[in-house]
Amino acid sequence: MATIEKEVLNQPNMTAITAPTLAEAVEKRDRLTKATGHYYGVEELSLKEADPIRYERFYSKLHSAVLAARESARYVAASPGSREMGECLWGVTTAEGDTLAVSLGFLSHTAIFPVAIRYMAANNYDVNDGIEDGDVYGVSDGLTGGVPHPADFYSFVPIVVEGEVVAWAVGINHLMENGAPVAGSWATFSVDTFMDGLVVPPMRTGRKLKQESWWKAIWERRTRAATMNILDDKMRLAGCAMIHEATHKLIAEFGIDYYKQAIREVIEESRRRVVDNMKSTMVPGTYTGAAFRMAQYKGLQTIWSHADKNTLIHIRASVEPNEDGLKIDTEGTSRWGHHAYNATPGASDAAVFLGMINSFSHNTKVTAGIELAVQRNYPKGSILNPDSEFTSNANPWAQTVTLNNIGFGAVSRAMFSFGYLEEAFCIDGNWGAWQGQGTAEDGTGYGFTNFEWLGGSSRGAWCFKDGEPLVWAAWSQMATIGDAEEFESTVPPMFYLGRKLLPGYFGAGKYRGGPGQSAVHWCVEPGKHIGITRPNGGLSTTASVALGMNGAYPGPSSFMISARGTNLDEVNAKGLAPRDARELLEMTDSGLLKVDDLKVWKTDCPELSMGHNDLFVDAAGSSGGWGDPLERDPSAVIADLNSGTCPDYDFVNEMHGVVAAQDERGSWSLDVAATEIKRAALRQARLDDSVDVKDWWEEEREIVKNAAFFPEVGLMYNESLSFDKFRNEFTSFWNLPREFNVLEG
Amino acid sequence: MSDDISISKGIIEQLVDGKIDDDNLERLLKLPKKDSGRFFKYIEVLQDKVSWKDKILLRLSDKLYIVSKGPGIRITKCECGYEFGDYRSNWKLNSKIRVRKTAEEMKAVYDPTPAVPEAGWQEIREYFCPSCATQHAVEVVPPGYPIVMEMLPDLDKFYNEYLGKPLSDASSDWYQDKTSDTTSSWK
Repeated sequence: MATIEKEVLNQPNMTAITAPTLAEAVEKRDRLTKATGHYYGVEELSLKEADPIRYERFYSKLHSAVLAARESARYVAASPGSREMGECLWGVTTAEGDTLAVSLGFLSHTAIFPVAIRYMAANNYDVNDGIEDGDVYGVSDGLTGGVPHPADFYSFVPIVVEGEVVAWAVGINHLMENGAPVAGSWATFSVDTFMDGLVVPPMRTGRKLKQESWWKAIWERRTRAATMNILDDKMRLAGCAMIHEATHKLIAEFGIDYYKQAIREVIEESRRRVVDNMKSTMVPGTYTGAAFRMAQYKGLQTIWSHADKNTLIHIRASVEPNEDGLKIDTEGTSRWGHHAYNATPGASDAAVFLGMINSFSHNTKVTAGIELAVQRNYPKGSILNPDSEFTSNANPWAQTVTLNNIGFGAVSRAMFSFGYLEEAFCIDGNWGAWQGQGTAEDGTGYGFTNFEWLGGSSRGAWCFKDGEPLVWAAWSQMATIGDAEEFESTVPPMFYLGRKLLPGYFGAGKYRGGPGQSAVHWCVEPGKHIGITRPNGGLSTTASVALGMNGAYPGPSSFMISARGTNLDEVNAKGLAPRDARELLEMTDSGLLKVDDLKVWKTDCPELSMGHNDLFVDAAGSSGGWGDPLERDPSAVIADLNSGTCPDYDFVNEMHGVVAAQDERGSWSLDVAATEIKRAALRQARLDDSVDVKDWWEEEREIVKNAAFFPEVGLMYNESLSFDKFRNEFTSFWNLPREFNVLEG
Repeated sequence: MSDDISISKGIIEQLVDGKIDDDNLERLLKLPKKDSGRFFKYIEVLQDKVSWKDKILLRLSDKLYIVSKGPGIRITKCECGYEFGDYRSNWKLNSKIRVRKTAEEMKAVYDPTPAVPEAGWQEIREYFCPSCATQHAVEVVPPGYPIVMEMLPDLDKFYNEYLGKPLSDASSDWYQDKTSDTTSSWK
């Protein structure tokens, strides 16, 4: 290595030390792991067995360092998303990028840390021009850095001892604004990577724990929220610096030889525990799931004709436990397209490992050990692993969140069958945020993201009780939607008229999902301009996932409403204001609130210009149910009617067969006998209104043969049929020739 | 954790019946390692509840079971007694289906109106037991989507390797999806 030789030449009494290159280190790690089936070839946990107290003390120092890094660094005046919510993470990895310990926060990024490091190794960063202790690297590119989308920015700080990289401190957070044409941090319209904003492959931006002067200019010239982004950059580095110092101290205390052995044992130890957890809780077999997500780009623009189309994205996955843990096979998923929703293997891993870490790393050290236990197949050419280097990755979470739902949902089913019912619930990950750009009256430009419904959503129904609102964020242990005042202070003209649970907004079942949330955002004197878009994980053209749990309905997806040109002043003068989507629609229906331009968005909206007294309403965070809705305890339905959770009696009368009456004070009470009769009638109606599946199949097969559906549905099938596994499943189910393709157009 | 703990049938029954209290739930969730004896106690609790005598091999869904009708015969069976046939073929194919295709039909499932999936892009399929009309499953998928086989368990791997109690009719023939045998016999 160039740097070692420089040092040695200056110290004549020292002999030359040849440390392996990073590429050699990676190769050795892979070779030993593959040959033995144990991480790094570690078959005996000798340090742990010889002195378990010392071993655990070693690890707890490492772990405390990364925990402390987050808890301190996020108060380096960072953006609300980082400071208030779980949209950040710190970690420490081996030289090859394998996670040793992580802080609280967005946990699944641990699976992606190796991507940037392996890229640097493969491209000889340590040879030309060297990797030195305390260097600072940044990365936001999906292909070379594995990041799910470019607004997730990673900082890496190498820990180098005697010329050898022995660890990396990592800090990541989701930026306030990342400079794409569509402002915010998940551009909802993007044709390719060149429209994704600040996308950087791994690059050194600082030395000796200090960013170089030019780096600040990048944030200022290429993003709309430079102040926030620079503070976040300092935040990441502050945390990394703490980890860097703590790791050096740890090595000094325990010795480099102990350190090098212990870090490998830690990962192997947790790998074994993860595999053991999987084997002791999941019934083996094949679990299959699917989900869909619309990308409605047709008619939005006349510049890029190849992006002028609608796409129905199909996510399909099967989960199969095996000797080494479990395998997730996504063959059959759609191919990539000229839209914002493509993933990379790194982005796909960020989704998959949410459920996996949650389910199987709970009683062990959270390390890279789990990545050996979860085998993933993302076929080349699919939206999860494009065979193009230029795809946009602006918002893969719009669809990859369903990959987590499918994988985690399979785990739930497997544990349910095994008898561990306490672990079985309906997994949903329906999220929503809003973002945009503006120019104040004095000409000051700004860009922003309001993370809001990303920070907390409802949990789906358990197999033994209802789900709860707001307690769940699949990507973080900390479900928090942040303070309204924080977001109001960062987006000058936008204020909350309401921010509440949305009644009725969940999947029904014997046990219902927790209700989702809705907010009304009020635009006040926006100055020269403000434009808003809304990134989402799932929009309500499609349900959140394809499969309900055991007879229940899956959660509905998110939506928004824009109400522009309103008489809000007149409504306010009466002491009234809409507080959620339902109230807005009721007020417009009744004529109280007059709106010149009212639109309900069940797909992504283009950047909407907002004027004074315009309203932007959103809803997200709902979840699905569990079990047959006709099995629901009628008293639970009455409780929901009385609490307002279910606002519509006619709805529950038909869904749950509950008959009730309301007294003069508005309280509902159950009519037991009438409920029994109604339920019997609904069961009979199920039989009367349904047909044998065989008869349905014969008719539906004609629809398939004649492609009697929207052209985009046909295109979706053909893309999935281009993969053998789905072709086999599709053609064998419909009893069609194997070479069958759905007619297009 | 070296000691395997034991969870009582009473607690398992509370889970099955939806009557478990928060304290007991929290204790179960916080177990460092799950109790290895859970499965057979679970099956006992379930067997006590059903009105028929066929031996339950696995619970597939709230009211769907894979049962043994004797050596070499393993079927999917509803709690009411309705039999869906060989468990290797998707039980949905022997159920009754109701499909909600229009906006009006789907509005009866989701609320408020903007949350309703869009007709033409999605339909809601409900699968019922032909005898007791229990809604066993729901799919929300585009028209033409092949019916999904949600779970095909590897029963013999489970009983041999996981539970250490092989089934008397164990064979490698069991773990295969035979749904296409059914559909290929249709038109």
